[in-house]
Amino acid sequence: MKWIPCIVLLLAGGGLFAQQPTADYILQKIDDNQNADSRIISSRMIIHGRRGSRTIESKSWIEGDEKSFTEYLAPAREKGTKMLKLGDDLWTYSPSTDRIIRISGHMLRQSVMGSDLSYEDMMEDHSLVEMYKATIIGSERIDDRDCWIIELTAKNEEVAYYARKIWVDRERYNILREDRFGKSGRLLKTTTVSDVRMQDGRWVAGRIVFKDVLKNGEGTEFLVDSVEFNRDIPAYLFSKAALKK
Amino acid sequence: MIRFLFKGLIRDRSRSFFPILTVTAGVMLTVVFHAWLGGVLSDIVRTSATFTTGHVKVMSRSYAEEQAQVPNDLALLGVGQLMSDLEEAFPDMIWTSRITFGGLLDIPDSTGETRSQGPVMGMGISLLDASKGDVDRMGIREAVTAGSIPAHPGEILISDELAGKLKVEPGEQATFIGSTMYGSITFYNFVIAGTVHFGIMAMDRGAIIADIEDVRTALNMEDGAGEILGYFKSGVYDDKAARAVVNRFQDIYGSAGGDFDPVMATLREQEGLEQYLAMAENMSGVLVTMFIVAMSLVLWNAGLIGGLRRYGEIGVRLAIGESKSHVYRTMMLESLLIGLIGSCIGIGIGLAISFYLQTHGINFGAFTRGSSMMISNYIYARVLPETYYIGLIPGLFSTLLGAGLAGIGIYKRQTAQLFKELEV
Amino acid sequence: MIALKLAYRNLKGAGLRTWLNVIVLSFAYVIIIFNQGFLDGWSRQAREDMIDWEIGGGVYWNAAYDPYDIFTIQDGHGLPPSALQGLIEDNLAEPVLVAQAAIYPEGRVQSILLNGIDPGQTILKLPTAPLAADIDEIPVLIGTRMAKRTGLQEGDFVTVRWRDVNDTFDATEAKVVKIMKTNDANVDIGQLWVPMNRLQTMMSARGEATTIILSPEITDPPAAVGWEFKDYNFLLKEVRALIKTKSIGGSTMFILLLFLAGLAIFDSQMLAVFKRRKEIGTLIALGMTRTRVVRIFTVEGAMHGILAALVAAVYGIPLLGMLAKSGWAMPEVADTMGIVIAEKIFPLFSIGLIAGTTAVVMITVTIVSYIPARKIAQLNPTEAIKGKIS
Repeated sequence: MKWIPCIVLLLAGGGLFAQQPTADYILQKIDDNQNADSRIISSRMIIHGRRGSRTIESKSWIEGDEKSFTEYLAPAREKGTKMLKLGDDLWTYSPSTDRIIRISGHMLRQSVMGSDLSYEDMMEDHSLVEMYKATIIGSERIDDRDCWIIELTAKNEEVAYYARKIWVDRERYNILREDRFGKSGRLLKTTTVSDVRMQDGRWVAGRIVFKDVLKNGEGTEFLVDSVEFNRDIPAYLFSKAALKK
Repeated sequence: MIRFLFKGLIRDRSRSFFPILTVTAGVMLTVVFHAWLGGVLSDIVRTSATFTTGHVKVMSRSYAEEQAQVPNDLALLGVGQLMSDLEEAFPDMIWTSRITFGGLLDIPDSTGETRSQGPVMGMGISLLDASKGDVDRMGIREAVTAGSIPAHPGEILISDELAGKLKVEPGEQATFIGSTMYGSITFYNFVIAGTVHFGIMAMDRGAIIADIEDVRTALNMEDGAGEILGYFKSGVYDDKAARAVVNRFQDIYGSAGGDFDPVMATLREQEGLEQYLAMAENMSGVLVTMFIVAMSLVLWNAGLIGGLRRYGEIGVRLAIGESKSHVYRTMMLESLLIGLIGSCIGIGIGLAISFYLQTHGINFGAFTRGSSMMISNYIYARVLPETYYIGLIPGLFSTLLGAGLAGIGIYKRQTAQLFKELEV
Repeated sequence: MIALKLAYRNLKGAGLRTWLNVIVLSFAYVIIIFNQGFLDGWSRQAREDMIDWEIGGGVYWNAAYDPYDIFTIQDGHGLPPSALQGLIEDNLAEPVLVAQAAIYPEGRVQSILLNGIDPGQTILKLPTAPLAADIDEIPVLIGTRMAKRTGLQEGDFVTVRWRDVNDTFDATEAKVVKIMKTNDANVDIGQLWVPMNRLQTMMSARGEATTIILSPEITDPPAAVGWEFKDYNFLLKEVRALIKTKSIGGSTMFILLLFLAGLAIFDSQMLAVFKRRKEIGTLIALGMTRTRVVRIFTVEGAMHGILAALVAAVYGIPLLGMLAKSGWAMPEVADTMGIVIAEKIFPLFSIGLIAGTTAVVMITVTIVSYIPARKIAQLNPTEAIKGKIS
């Protein structure tokens, strides 16, 4: 799944520059750090609902920007459900029905497993540099880390969020907080990162909280248990046949 | 004397058979009319009870507040226990649970890839458990246009229009894709057992009916239900009884409580039915009164005619020395006997027909285009408490009144004149 | 003429019995007229409400749009066809843009449809004028049912989130500027009405529409490429089918009543023939043809119908008049099924209905009067004079 590297690496870039670079440079830096050939990520998603919380465990194999394969491990009901993303296409497989179904159109807007994220949010794989014009608008200290505040404005019309504001760690080049806005300037979603740690030689966000601010509730927590970079992933994993295996 | 009169009645067919037949027919008509009118006026109520409100309905407090959104994440849980509690506390009601849900229906081709797909709204009802009566209540059997009613778990009915759109036929497989009550994506394989015509465009465009147990499994709602509907076993809504059920329910479960505690409402309290019910009751009163008056007039008329026909006989009886008052009394007694026998038979037959019409209704589908259709094609009678005795008014009183008025002639006329009418 | 006069005199002579029959028959009259009038009223109201609030003189749907398939809303819009431009400029056609959105009353999401319409429109009864309000928030018009479901009142604010044609999210505050009361739940439940130009801007769909509602003044809708015209036959189909079923249910009732009234008259005719056999014999003996006598008796029976109509008029006109004025309350349930039912139905008693009912009653009465009278034709006059019926 592309979205996991997006989140993890977007939020956890590494770097040595301590002086004030340009906003584009910072974005480039964040984007560059995503350029691992492949990643294998184990994670848990904690979804808070009105009736209590649920934890969904999954493991993802990702190659480049276009290919990803995710398998859900827990709870029992979700175990064995798999998703395959190749470019703009998304397929899902459920063992109970033994069917592979393409998720398209309207379905992409649905939330993933009841979380505050939609399939579309997951599918977003264009780099920030490509999509947004960036300006540094200030700096702030978050969780004892010095951050630049960068404002991003959409370069073209086809983006889900017209504007974003990101707080980037000046030293590690990872994003510690992100606000997403509509054209009208209305805040729509927030992302908060904590528990940044070194894994496999990179700074990785350990805990990310997504929140749809229009909605009541505590949002969705995303916990990264482990990340491995640049491992060999067998090519057959990124085929529909692998879904049924 | 009654025995004497009775014998006379039996031996003279024109004095017994035909008058009794008239009274029976009249009383029967009155009874059926009463029940039928009750049914016609409460038709909307019946439809709403069947599809949405039940006679009483149990939901979780928060589900009830946002009912329009069909929020399955707020559905009742622990329904098995709740249902058995309800069944124990209210043994004269039928309790059935329902889940309304939405999603996609995906038809696979021979390789298992998507062949066609469309959005659907679904209703999980007690399709397989006949004791809940959902299939009969909703008239599903008659609405089936192809295939048959599901007989096994995992089978569904889909609207015939949807079947056409998806190019799928009974017997084929379909995968439902939706979200569980917790929001996870869920897949469930169904076999399409048949197609139905609902008669409501929104439903005909894309509705499916599945067994509630399948829906529970599909939506991860084990032991859950969006709504529990309660029906009186008579099939007829009785507001007083429903109120009593709600009061007892509140005594057991308390009226305050948390977001997911069950709350109960009567049909009358739901969806603005109150005003309509009140109006229907008034109107029914007016119409029934009119009908009874009319029926009484007819039977009175018949009694009158019966009396008049016998002026000749009366003339003879007076001539041989019977007193006028005695003749009059015997005539009254006779008509009382006739009225009683006729009323009893008439009420019996009338009730039998009414009960039949109450359970089975009459399918007017043949008269409307698109023949079989689930909603509003059926009209049912409705037997009310008054239906049991309403027939006595025309049957007994009117017959007596008729005979009484006809008998007045006995006093008015001279014996000679009455005797003359006998002249043949 | 003689027949009529004789009939009237005989009928009057029969006294009480005649009046009983007449009263019964008059009940049948009034009930049939009420029932049919009620259904006609319902039908007319439903039709008028839909025309006034929802469909005008018919609706053009964008070819890709289907209101029953929510997925089509995303793509089912476009620039109004050139064939309709003139009508739109003359306010004889009103474009409406439909968009999916979500509102967040009290933090819970509700899916709704945004309907963009020109605040100055005159085709529909929707009170759109307040939408012209010059405020920062989006001015919104909702119906009473929607207000109840969302807990919103006039002057309240609510967050609306939508995606434009490029799928870009946005959200903003909307202000409820007007709550309207309408019988047509289709423009109420789940619907938010907003100014057309605001919605077009929000959606980045300048000048586009999803549907175009025609004014009822236009009787010959022009063909428009890429748009499908939906006429009344299509749009009113459901409500017509429903009312038709109801009408059948009602007719069984008055068939019963008519049967009853018929029985009463049949009975009295039998009696009359029996009682007046001497008179019949005399008439025939005096040279009247049998058919003529039969006619007298038939007319006599049929006259019940005329008297009944008069009696029915005496109490029926005030009674039904009152009902036509005060209306008949209907429940909201049917709303959710997408069928328009007014809160109150005002029965419609048309001349055609009254004339039709009179004809049915008269024919029935004549038939039941004729059958017993037919016996007369078989009478032997000499026997009849003696009072015998063979």
